[in-house]
Amino acid sequence: MTSVAYMIKEAFNNLSRNALVVLGAILAVFISLTLTFGTLVFGEIVRVNTLQWAQDVRVIAFLQDDMTPETTAAMQNEIATWPQVADVFYVSKQDAFVEAQVLFSNDEAMLRVLDESPDLLPASIRVQPADPEDYDLIVIRLESTPGVQTVESAGDAIEAMIALRDGLQIMFWLLAVALGAAAVALIANTIHMAIYARREEIEIMRLVGASNAFIRTPFLIEGALEGLIGGALAVTFVVVAQQLAVDRLSELPEWINLTIHNDFILRQGALVLLFGLGAGLLGSSLSLAVHRTLRS
Amino acid sequence: MIKLENVTKVYPGAVVAVKDVNLEVSKGEFLFLVGASGSGKSTLIRLMMREELPTNGDVWIAGKHASEMPSWKIPYLRRSIGTVFQDFKLLPTKTVYENVAFAMEVTAKHRSVIRNQVPQVLKLVGLSDKADRLPRQLSGGEQQRVAIARAFVNRPLIILADEPTGNLDPGTSVGIMRILDRINRTGTTVVMATHDHAIVDAMQRRVVELDRGRVARDESRGIYETRKPEADAVKAEPEGTIEPPVDEPVEDVTESEVDEAAP
Repeated sequence: MTSVAYMIKEAFNNLSRNALVVLGAILAVFISLTLTFGTLVFGEIVRVNTLQWAQDVRVIAFLQDDMTPETTAAMQNEIATWPQVADVFYVSKQDAFVEAQVLFSNDEAMLRVLDESPDLLPASIRVQPADPEDYDLIVIRLESTPGVQTVESAGDAIEAMIALRDGLQIMFWLLAVALGAAAVALIANTIHMAIYARREEIEIMRLVGASNAFIRTPFLIEGALEGLIGGALAVTFVVVAQQLAVDRLSELPEWINLTIHNDFILRQGALVLLFGLGAGLLGSSLSLAVHRTLRS
Repeated sequence: MIKLENVTKVYPGAVVAVKDVNLEVSKGEFLFLVGASGSGKSTLIRLMMREELPTNGDVWIAGKHASEMPSWKIPYLRRSIGTVFQDFKLLPTKTVYENVAFAMEVTAKHRSVIRNQVPQVLKLVGLSDKADRLPRQLSGGEQQRVAIARAFVNRPLIILADEPTGNLDPGTSVGIMRILDRINRTGTTVVMATHDHAIVDAMQRRVVELDRGRVARDESRGIYETRKPEADAVKAEPEGTIEPPVDEPVEDVTESEVDEAAP
């Protein structure tokens, strides 16, 4: 048997010997990373659905197509001087097209229409109020401004969604960090127990000249596997839950888009798996560093 | 093969275990370390296997400066040393064969080499017919023979034995000594810490006596004590070299090698 095969076999032996404790560690990683990944997915859903309202924009004035760059700039400068306004952004037709591609990324019909006529969407001026409660004053002033076609303000639903995201994100991140630390500690504990259970074997291994890597690697693999399994369960759980939400919540208003891009799932899912792996390696490394049996 | 220069070992609490020891053991030599409990025998063995570092002085093992060696190199040093202990240190869930093979597996020996070497060394220690037994199904003497087989299976240059007969009755001890003697005759250096007067007296090999951590006596063909107590005379084997074991010699431990290696 080669060294690598031996070390992998030993790692799996350790996992099976300590099944209950290992299960606890995997569950801790699973819960921690489910919260982490869930937060990322929820944040992404909110981000996509509130793309126009990013950077605290609460009022959007869609401009008539006949506006020249000069008149648009003059209007932007004028609005910026209003006392209720904190900041003003100009979004050109091209910018609006790019934004719409993200907003309607899961609506093929809409994407086709956009591709056929990229000029369809109007340019807009987006306003960040100095005080969010003043947005109605800004709406009234914009509506009477020449060159403005229509004015939209962030509805209560958008406000609620953003507030919910911000609140939940803080809570979820704190929980994820606390549970992540618990997961690392639990993995460290399982490895500690595995080392203790095999202390005689390790002593003999050291006596006959097994290298440190040969002795330690099975424990590192064991920790890494625990982290990876927990991470994989978390990614699977969140993807399935998100899919179920898309299927079951068909009564939601059309403008709420719960679907997530595969790219996002792949990228962030891989990151979550890496976190799992990292937690596993960290836990096992901590245990290997402090365990007396392994000191030379 | 082994060289200790002005070696002192002080444990925490200012406990001096070994003091200014100078000792040189040549290749193929058989050396008994004797002395009362606490005289420093086990510490000396632990220093030789690089389980301990000297507080002062230098330890050279198989041409390597063991006391200056970085910790990552120790496993490679240990591959040239076989160790045997009073409590056997066998893995209870592994069979005789697996216990011996374990020493080769963990040093990444190829499976075919393991399959070739383990039966040979089991034959050397006379346990060919008990390869499938678990340690608990063996007598103390047989367990110690498994431990010796494990220590020797990687063909080390040195065997360090700390009271290998300490848990065994005199008759069984003789069997163990025959095996160690036979291994020594292949050219392997053997250093054995012991309290067993009878064995030391019977084998008449080099004896180093420790007294409170210092070398009190170093004789090339010594006995346990210069004046043997009356009580021990009963236990003593007849004088002379212990006869080789009754097993057939293994392939690489032929009679010719034994003759060449014999001092």
